[in-house]
Amino acid sequence: MLEVGLIVNPISGMGGSVGLKGTDGNTYKKAIELGAKQVTPQRVKATLSLIKRNDIYLLVAPGKMGEDYIKKFNFKYKVVGKIGEKTSAEDTKRIAKEMMKRAINLLIFFGGDGTARDIYDAIGISVPVVAIPSGVKMFSSVFALSPYAAAKMIDSYTEKSIEKEVLDIDEDAFRNNKLAATLYGYLKVPEIEALLQEGKEPSIMSKPEKENKEEVAKYIVENMEKDILYILGPGTTVKGITDELDVDKTLLGIDSVYNKELVGKDLNEKGLMELIKKYKKIKIIVTPIGGNGFTFGRGSKQITPEVLRLVGENNIIIVSTPGKISKLECLRVDTGDAEVDRRLRKFVKVVTGCNEETVIEVK
Amino acid sequence: MIKLNMNENPYPPPENVLKAAKLGINNINRYSELKYSNNLKNLLASYNNVSKERIILSPGSEFILREIIYIFSKGRKLIMTNPTFFPALEHAVKNAKKIVKFQLFPPEFKLNQKMILEELYEPTFIIIENPNNPTGKILLDESFVEKILQNENALLLVDEAYYEFVKCTFIDLIEKYPNFAIARTMDKAFSLAGLRLGYFIAGDYFLRELYDFPKFLPIPVIFAAIEALRNQEYVNENIERIIGEKKRVENELEKLGVEIFPGEANFILIRCKILNLAKKLIDKGIIISNLSINWLDGFYRISIGLPEENDAFLLEIGNIKTNYDDKFTLPHLKKKHY
Repeated sequence: MLEVGLIVNPISGMGGSVGLKGTDGNTYKKAIELGAKQVTPQRVKATLSLIKRNDIYLLVAPGKMGEDYIKKFNFKYKVVGKIGEKTSAEDTKRIAKEMMKRAINLLIFFGGDGTARDIYDAIGISVPVVAIPSGVKMFSSVFALSPYAAAKMIDSYTEKSIEKEVLDIDEDAFRNNKLAATLYGYLKVPEIEALLQEGKEPSIMSKPEKENKEEVAKYIVENMEKDILYILGPGTTVKGITDELDVDKTLLGIDSVYNKELVGKDLNEKGLMELIKKYKKIKIIVTPIGGNGFTFGRGSKQITPEVLRLVGENNIIIVSTPGKISKLECLRVDTGDAEVDRRLRKFVKVVTGCNEETVIEVK
Repeated sequence: MIKLNMNENPYPPPENVLKAAKLGINNINRYSELKYSNNLKNLLASYNNVSKERIILSPGSEFILREIIYIFSKGRKLIMTNPTFFPALEHAVKNAKKIVKFQLFPPEFKLNQKMILEELYEPTFIIIENPNNPTGKILLDESFVEKILQNENALLLVDEAYYEFVKCTFIDLIEKYPNFAIARTMDKAFSLAGLRLGYFIAGDYFLRELYDFPKFLPIPVIFAAIEALRNQEYVNENIERIIGEKKRVENELEKLGVEIFPGEANFILIRCKILNLAKKLIDKGIIISNLSINWLDGFYRISIGLPEENDAFLLEIGNIKTNYDDKFTLPHLKKKHY
């Protein structure tokens, strides 16, 4: 049997219909006052009715966070945890942790970016997830395209998975039509994208994402020069490099290596400046955030304009898998310093494999 | 199913081409003869105004492209665009010393010509489709092509699969530059996709290396291609009809508020934020090409079909838009386009 957790954020998506662009924090109360109705049940019903495999044993959150929706279906299930009348992010986190302890194979959740962050807080990348969008903001690339795609992912589930970004969107800025996104973390999703193809398509990316990351990492490590300090930005693509070096990497932080040894871990600007003073030759290795293409200014705020000025724009190595770069119209920078941004905005070569580069514009 | 996903010609070849193919089938117990291939090469040479010796026939252009990339990327840097249409070439390109892909990005999908010229400091093989598939953009101009070809480090292959629809070619440079080659196909304008007939017009350097490329094609393919080349008027009429239909479909899509990226050739590139558009259309019996699988999200390529097929597509995409449930669309995307 495939043991699958199921968590529904019952208030997700309610802000959308009343123009609130989200239900994070106290905005939920306002949404109710404005007459918002639940939108999640339709999404849950649509997804569950499309699942074809019959070897699933569900561990579901109680009541409106799961159990209420599955009674009409024929799944074998067991309820995990308890909830009160009002639900919150804490319920999501607590129940997800409980499910993880019970060694589920897969976790299905319904919600938006906020729910994805709660799930990440609770389980990290320990269990693969299928995330079904039912929120107002679903910028994180972790989300399946639709209930149909999600059901396919569940039906075709194997143990192969890839990591996808969870973004933190500033709701206040979003309400003013500004998209301020920072990298929050990663979740693992089943790697079955090829199965979701609609019609015959030529594939330029036949290798699995994981293999691509390893190829990029090997190439970078083989070409690392002696007596140069490498500052390593956040993300799993860069983590591939430290894995290759057998060095422990802060997934969402900044680390640095010198002659293939770790010399700085989870560095802030002060820590980076100290290293820059100590070492003469320095290079920065970063990867763009999937979906929005930011290399500097989101997710790597520790690499400040001052750090970039001292290292120099010609000493930046950008790495990516071909799959991620193909989905970007451009790379982006927003360091907060107009002059530094201007210097970084040009056509750059991104390392996308062994002896493989992609030329793309930074905007 | 209505197939609007493969850039095929919706019109079948004329009756005499079908008859020629059938005549070929009647002889399939015999091997193809060199005189048949020579006859076809003579006609292609005359059609393209080049000498017959420069023509190399291939069962579909993909076959010869694989071979060429395999041979000529050895020890060279390979430059391509992303996106491009070169299916299943991964093994071939792995021969290259290095691969540099130039990302084409909306709205103009322009090639950074300056950076390409700067790359020619070492032996380099450049492969470019002109117009590009799937953007339909003309990426090359004669001055840029000549600048590449004048560099002794460069080999240039231009895929002109859609030449008949755009009438843009650099074939006049073939005699002058040994490092130049053009790939063409009879799959598209000549309505022979099912027979797969590609050909290659090679400059001297390419010719020398490809002297032993197999010369024989199946008899029905050769017979049909010969007859198709004798029916140029029919081909031209179809091209006009397709281009006319393309303009009509573009206008109708614009009225629906669908974002169109104008391009050449027999297909249309659109961006549409309705989630799962391709799947929704498949459910209605219409297949379009979903480019977001390998490229940018929300991009689709639509081939031009028969007028009634295009009408069905327009009707269904219109219905999908009308029924579109706005909770699936992000608020900031709703303002401009569906």
